[in-house]
Amino acid sequence: MREPPLSNCEKSFLLKAIQEGKRLDGRETYDYRNVKISFGTDYGCCIVELGKTRVLGQVSCELVPPKINRPTEGIIFFNLELSPMASPAFELGRQSELLVKLNRLLERCLRNSKCIDTESLCVIAGEKVWQVRVDLHLLNHEGNIIDAASIAAIVALSHFRRHDVSIQGNEVTVYTPEEREPVPLSIHHMPICVSFAFFQQGTYLLVDPSEREERVLDGLLVIAMNKHREICTIQSSGGIMLLKEQVLRCSKIAGVKVTEITELIQKALENDKNVRKEGGKCGFVESMPKQWITAFKVEKALVDMSDVEEKAEEILSRAETPAEMASKPVLWAPGTAQIGEGLESSWRDMEEEGEVEDEDDEGGIDDPTLAVSQNIDMEDIPRKQEKNSDDVIILSDSEEDEVIILEPEESRKNTRSKHYAVPSAKKATGGKKKKKKFTL
Amino acid sequence: MDRDCCLRVFACEQNLLSRPDGSASFLQGDTSVLAGIYGPAEVKVSKEIFDKATLEVILKPKIGLPAVQEKNQEQIIRNTCEAVVLATLHPRTSITIVLQVVSDAGSLLACCLNAACMGLLDAGLPMKSLFCGVTCALDSERGIILDPTDKQEKESRALLTFAIDSLEKKVLMITSRGSYSIEELQQCIATSQKAADKLFQFYRDSVSRKYSKS
Amino acid sequence: MAGLELLSDQGYRLDGRKAVELRKIRARMGVFAQADGSAYIEQGNTKALAVVYGPHEIRGSRSKALHDRAVVNCQYSMATFSTGERKRRPHGDRKSSEMTLHLKQTFEAAILTQLYPRSQIDIYVQILQADGGNYCACVNAATLAIMDAGIPMRDYVCACSTGFIEDTPLVDLSYIEEAAGGPQLALALLPKSEQIALLEMNSRLHEDHLEKVLDAASKACRDVYAVLDRVVRDHVQEVCTLLGE
Repeated sequence: MREPPLSNCEKSFLLKAIQEGKRLDGRETYDYRNVKISFGTDYGCCIVELGKTRVLGQVSCELVPPKINRPTEGIIFFNLELSPMASPAFELGRQSELLVKLNRLLERCLRNSKCIDTESLCVIAGEKVWQVRVDLHLLNHEGNIIDAASIAAIVALSHFRRHDVSIQGNEVTVYTPEEREPVPLSIHHMPICVSFAFFQQGTYLLVDPSEREERVLDGLLVIAMNKHREICTIQSSGGIMLLKEQVLRCSKIAGVKVTEITELIQKALENDKNVRKEGGKCGFVESMPKQWITAFKVEKALVDMSDVEEKAEEILSRAETPAEMASKPVLWAPGTAQIGEGLESSWRDMEEEGEVEDEDDEGGIDDPTLAVSQNIDMEDIPRKQEKNSDDVIILSDSEEDEVIILEPEESRKNTRSKHYAVPSAKKATGGKKKKKKFTL
Repeated sequence: MDRDCCLRVFACEQNLLSRPDGSASFLQGDTSVLAGIYGPAEVKVSKEIFDKATLEVILKPKIGLPAVQEKNQEQIIRNTCEAVVLATLHPRTSITIVLQVVSDAGSLLACCLNAACMGLLDAGLPMKSLFCGVTCALDSERGIILDPTDKQEKESRALLTFAIDSLEKKVLMITSRGSYSIEELQQCIATSQKAADKLFQFYRDSVSRKYSKS
Repeated sequence: MAGLELLSDQGYRLDGRKAVELRKIRARMGVFAQADGSAYIEQGNTKALAVVYGPHEIRGSRSKALHDRAVVNCQYSMATFSTGERKRRPHGDRKSSEMTLHLKQTFEAAILTQLYPRSQIDIYVQILQADGGNYCACVNAATLAIMDAGIPMRDYVCACSTGFIEDTPLVDLSYIEEAAGGPQLALALLPKSEQIALLEMNSRLHEDHLEKVLDAASKACRDVYAVLDRVVRDHVQEVCTLLGE
């Protein structure tokens, strides 16, 4: 589906509002939208909502052989997917520029900044390391995908617990969560991306652009920082020209925002940890807002099963008995048998298509070697033998000239010799099939 | 026979995404599926049908890329929806149902069906009837288990999923794995129809709550 | 890599340069006759070749045509023999796609596309030998190629990469310095107006050092500008002499 284009008047309205310092949702220039983090029951699963932009993150891990040039390091793999539900413009299977850009930015932000200790993911150097896979799905696109995705990625990684392993010599034992407590990943720092949108050739700046604002922007600057004020990645995109002062100012703003967001993340992680420790219920069911009218929850419901047996029996007794199935195969000759009668071929009456009919039979014999169609083939063979003795065979396949064979017996021999390959193949396959049948 | 016949906690949230025309999140115990519906919308010329709407289902797993298993489930859900949605009212349009698995703890296909139905309701698409998905697991000792969890599914000898419609409780779709007898099949169907009653009551309650003024 | 000192006590780097010294830049314009514009640049051991076609009519789908501007189409590829180990995929993988997007973005900002509505300008860049500063060499080569093609630009686009080791910014990184893993900044600058066309940074750098690094990078870009300007003037003089004017 194509995204409906932005009208000129809407565009000029947005730009004019930005010139006056106003935003459509009432925020200030440097304000972020509300960040809401909820966790699922499995470790490593979280949903992050930045305003209305929603991203689902899931971390999983498995043991794999390491990369050849880095035998002592684990592998981290990021994958961000723009789900077709997020926006009508996102279609399945098309690797658009936006997707490449976002994925590369995420990789650089999280992998190159070494926020996860990959050395700790090594189990046996050169043979087995943990491969940690972070899958991010964008569920709703209301602007600023990269910020929401980076928050989801780092929260999911912090929440994740991998299986505990023990090494005895060359033997690796992976413990399930029931045997031993799963181990969290060692995370050095939490890089968070902050997006700055520039309008009117860099004159106006907005933090955390919404979807409408993203459509009218001239350029975007993404700065990823952690709470120690270390810049992990800077990326400018779009066709704007920046000045050094602008970049420095943005980095200062980013520092402030990142501290706020990191605090929020820590609080959410703490909350979840406490709830799990106390054994309380956790997961998306619990974090659903109960007071909203669009959300509804019902406790465990018992289903009345008393008359199920009677009902089932009643249905069965009312059902007609299926037609009598052909039971025993009729043995014609060693290696050929017939089960059932089969249907009368409706093409027998039509003379021109007599040959086609024969070819059909033969076609039917040549192809299948499945056990299922064996029975049908067995049936076809005696029928064909019957037919050969009955029909007048017309050899010509053109419908124009009528070639009438004067001596049917010879013609039969002709057809037999013409298709000499088939009877022997028939016998061979019949033989093979016979063997197959017995082993069944 | 001692049967474990209770449905897990279920919850539903409607209209939670702003971009799709209709959206619903359906939770059954720990299994959670999010559905986003777009439609009736523009359709590509190659896919358009002159007298009906083109229905498309996309199921996205949480980890990894979609594989054959997902394609199979998409086809099943699509067939169920096509039987119910009045596609002839919107010819030459497309209706897209996108399902995202948020967490999987047993009876996933049924949860997808339920989420799809609630999403279609939220999007306001015309339907002949509602439908719901119910999963039954047949265990060696305990008989029929309704709405099995992950562990129960793995230990079962047969797993059947039914899609049941709301008008006459007819069966719209059956898919199963494992072997079972004809009597067991009929019993499972009867059980699912009973469970479907509860589910339809839940649908009604949640929709009336959504439109209530108090 | 622990044994290699990227910056010695006397302030010399591995290849004998000082911290703020650029590598030797050699460039030639007009290397291909059939392309509208072409250039070849060597920055130390990094060799890049850029070819420009255009402005011409939009090839392929008409839907991509912009009614008021030209479309800039870029492709970045690395020759399979350019790196130490044979490169399997010259283009199409994520890193190359990203570089392509960056190039496109840089030149869309620099070229006066309003002068050519409904047309297309193609820029193809190939790295023949990669020894650090790939993106920067591409940008410099492409600038020269665009000049050779005669397409009007706002200003030269000069790019340089900068690293940061032991409180000192290192300018124009080589492959060994890049692989060491410290922070790296790639900056594409329009020298006269000091406007930044592209800024890209990897790895951790403390915010307080950002200004220092940016300053060093800007200075380096201005040095590159001086060299490129020299190259362009020499080339034009040569061409004029050959034409007999």
